[in-house]
Amino acid sequence: MSTATTHTAEHPAGEYHGGLLRWLTTTNHKDIGTMYLTFSLIMFFVGGLMILAVRAELFSPGLQLMQPEFFNQLIGVHALVMIFAALMPAATGFANWMLPLMIGAPDMALPRLNNWGFWLLPPAAILLTLPFTLALFGIGDGALATGWTFYAPLSVQGGMGVDFAILAVHILGISSIMGSINIIVTIFNMRAPGMTMMKLPLFAWGWLITAFLLIATLPVLAGAVTMLLTDRHFGTHFFDAAGGGDPILFQHLFWFFGHPEVYILLLPVWGLMPHVLSTFSRKPTYGYKAQVYSFIAIGLLSVVVWAHHFFTAGMPVPALVYFMFSTMAISLPLAVLFFCWIATMWKGAMTFETPMLFAVGFIVLFGIAGLTGLILADVAADAQYHHSYFVVAHFHYALFAGGIMGVMTGVYYWLPKWTGHMYSEKLGKLHFWLTVVSFNLTFLPQFFLGLAGMPRRIPDYALQFAEFNAISTLGAFVLGFSQLLFAWNIWSCVRGGPKVESRVWEGAEGLEWELPSPPPHHTWEIQPVIK
Amino acid sequence: MTPAFTDADLARRRAASRRLGWLLGAVVLVIYLIGLFIKR
Amino acid sequence: MASCTLETQTAPSAEVNPVAWLLRSLFPPSALLLPGAASAAYNFNFPEPVTPIARETLHIHNEFMLIITVLFVVVFAIMIYSMIKHRKSSGHAPAKFTGPTGALQWFWALIPFAILLFIDFVLMGIPAVQAIINMEDTQTKADMVLKVTGMQWKWQYEYPESGVKFISTLATPRDQIANAEAKGENYLLEVDKPVVLPVGKKVRILLTSTDVIHTWWVPQFGVKRDAIPGFLRETWVLIEKPGIYRGQCAELCGKDHGFMPVVVHAVPEPEYLAWVEAQKAEAKAAAGGADRTWSKDELVAEGKAVYEKVCAACHQPDGKGLPPAFPALAGSKIVSGPLLDMNGKVIKDSHVDRVLHGKAGTAMQAFATSLSDVELAAVITYERNSFGNQAGDMIQPAQIKSLR
Ligand code: HEM
Ligand SMILES: [Cu+2]
Ligand SMILES: [Cu+2]
Repeated sequence: MSTATTHTAEHPAGEYHGGLLRWLTTTNHKDIGTMYLTFSLIMFFVGGLMILAVRAELFSPGLQLMQPEFFNQLIGVHALVMIFAALMPAATGFANWMLPLMIGAPDMALPRLNNWGFWLLPPAAILLTLPFTLALFGIGDGALATGWTFYAPLSVQGGMGVDFAILAVHILGISSIMGSINIIVTIFNMRAPGMTMMKLPLFAWGWLITAFLLIATLPVLAGAVTMLLTDRHFGTHFFDAAGGGDPILFQHLFWFFGHPEVYILLLPVWGLMPHVLSTFSRKPTYGYKAQVYSFIAIGLLSVVVWAHHFFTAGMPVPALVYFMFSTMAISLPLAVLFFCWIATMWKGAMTFETPMLFAVGFIVLFGIAGLTGLILADVAADAQYHHSYFVVAHFHYALFAGGIMGVMTGVYYWLPKWTGHMYSEKLGKLHFWLTVVSFNLTFLPQFFLGLAGMPRRIPDYALQFAEFNAISTLGAFVLGFSQLLFAWNIWSCVRGGPKVESRVWEGAEGLEWELPSPPPHHTWEIQPVIK
Repeated sequence: MTPAFTDADLARRRAASRRLGWLLGAVVLVIYLIGLFIKR
Repeated sequence: MASCTLETQTAPSAEVNPVAWLLRSLFPPSALLLPGAASAAYNFNFPEPVTPIARETLHIHNEFMLIITVLFVVVFAIMIYSMIKHRKSSGHAPAKFTGPTGALQWFWALIPFAILLFIDFVLMGIPAVQAIINMEDTQTKADMVLKVTGMQWKWQYEYPESGVKFISTLATPRDQIANAEAKGENYLLEVDKPVVLPVGKKVRILLTSTDVIHTWWVPQFGVKRDAIPGFLRETWVLIEKPGIYRGQCAELCGKDHGFMPVVVHAVPEPEYLAWVEAQKAEAKAAAGGADRTWSKDELVAEGKAVYEKVCAACHQPDGKGLPPAFPALAGSKIVSGPLLDMNGKVIKDSHVDRVLHGKAGTAMQAFATSLSDVELAAVITYERNSFGNQAGDMIQPAQIKSLR
């Protein structure tokens, strides 16, 4: 451990290991950030390809492309990949790259831990998907087929894909915990003199709450899946009624993690939004303190609402009422955030470069997620929505429009800073419009499918659901292929393009914009002045 | 132009970070173990 | 069956479906891929409610949808106004404020908050609590009980008062699913034996499961409740209108989760009572069958029917299974092993043991509780003499009866 402290002395600026070894051993926050983001982009396409196969199967009634077992494997692994290997690493990549720049620190506090945190990810991703490959060679019966929720006793009954997924979740969890610890200690200990907590950029605040949520809830998930593992192989009966256990206990433990997880995915994005909105409105952030308090309130509320994910499992009336109202209460701090975002734009001098387009698209579409979430909290109505396509639509408005489009906002916003080049604004705008239109084409019909009574996680459906499913599949393919534009735009921007200045955007404020673009390998060796 | 952190300052901050890091790690372990023995 | 006269209730209307029309005109190839029957009138909302709970739920849903639509329109109208007015290109100079200043601005900042508080806990909250209380009141003035048991991948229905009990499975032919045959009107939403309930009676429904969690859902009843192994959950319906109501399992329960529909025939009470009597007579006749000696051909013929209904989902119609999760019966050591021991008792882990008592920790359930003596004897005999298996022996329903 002691070597970490002498890191800057070990590697004066510009001195690298060559080639692959450099990336394996790097402890530089910018290198690690780049690796997280690259990994995330690759896994986004992996998860996307899986779900395109699913959407192709769902294009019309009947089984065309795959058997139900394989279908079930694809949906669960799609979700785990998107959540743990695409969205979370993207946010961690942002944190690695930007936190030290934003708070005036020379690097993350624990650089070696940072390196381990990243390098746990690829093996975990391989473990998660390996059973697909093994099945091709006749070993085992494929990947986890329980959906990403692992519900017992289905997961106790499942094949070895479940064991692989349990192992992968443990490793992904350890990686996230390492990342979170590093972020917390960096924010607490590495701020430049004068950067008080209430001057901290909102992005850092969003991540701070995220990191605490991860630390509080990931161990519970790990505990739950460990118990699952012992139920499967070592004769325990945690979730088996015949042995005195309770299958619903698993759901409690899973969603004690699972609900905060939604905010874990979204808080970094909410932290980023005010920066982007204020930059392109050329106006300071509205309601800084209100936003900080809202982050904290949402963080606290998120751990006390978990049972709204299984109202239909049956609960006493007081529990139903409690979980309904506590869930509805989250709409209040969330509304504060929406108010502050719009008030930041109000009376500014707006321009609509790609990051701003994505930010505005995010606000509107994430608004739909929030509003449908509010009615999902209603227990009686939820009896109709639950486990139907209505829910699938709802959480994709939250996770794709809220999560992924938020990440895209950040990528377009910071890419010129990272590379020193401007991306193609034309391609960026095309990417935005294609994404927004095809996203709605994909997921809007799913609300109606759910209302009409189509359950989720089914490989085949009744004839009355045919048209909307066909539309949704067409949308999904346009959505999927539009993302190639995104990858291409990033790639060309890394390779070259018009040079940008330190303050890439006219209205940008904050320490990160005072450094050259791209920032040198080692930054803030000179103390920044905090305004 | 003052250097941001003197070497001594940086070392002190990193040491504090490591202590807090281990503490958080211990918290994680405790939550995990409590989770394992939960019974409804 | 008496209730087959009710088809009219759910017949699809012949109106033109706007969604299908739009899709076909925007994307002509889809016309080739969409089945012709997909022109049933499309729903943009819940299907017609037929119980008090479903009516209340639809009402709440409509009201809430209205509220959130208004919120959405108002909030984003303000934002879009700002995006048009406060553009750099229209020469707007940016303001500098960072929060509410002065009483008036605080007022405007707090008003939306107060409105939302009111919406959450009064406008939406009060009807929501009322609905929960109604929904959970399963016992007051219940007229009868229906017990529903989920099993991979079928439903068992039991009427404790009259002792009627049967299994209901998907009736859609496999060829339709594999696109080898045109799909019928109720594709995937049809069963061999629907559950029959009287209209105008409060039915208390008890749910449980024998293996994994399933969820019993009929959208037109507004009822969705989990069936959890080892636990009993309850809900209720009071169907107001005769008809055929269709739903599906809503909790991922393994391979054939998409293929375990729920079909309820709601009939006037006299018709229901007649149906119950008919069921009782049928059960009696079947039980009588257990006492006579069956020929091997009879057993194999009956066994084939049972096999295809109950066993083929996992072990496959050709007995080849889907290893490793679902082992093959063709050439299986267990199936070709000895039938019973010298004293006519069950041998542990033998074919008879497996079928009667299942195998813990797998999808193989104990069929002793759900199949009759005749069915068990028939299916065991069939398996021992099919798929190339040549055990040659058979087991009589009377033997099964004594082994229970
Ligand atoms: C190209 C973009 C995407 C498309 C077209 C898509 C489509 C779908 C569909 C159709 C399902 C439902 C499968 C079923 O229930 O039968 C699904 C499930 C899911 N997706 Fe996505 N998705 C996309 C991106 C994402 C992203 C970015 C995330 C999260 C970060 C995500 C998270 C999930 C989750 C959590 C599930 C539930 C899986 C389960 O039932 O266990 N998806 N997706
Ligand atoms: Cu939730
Ligand atoms: Cu199911």
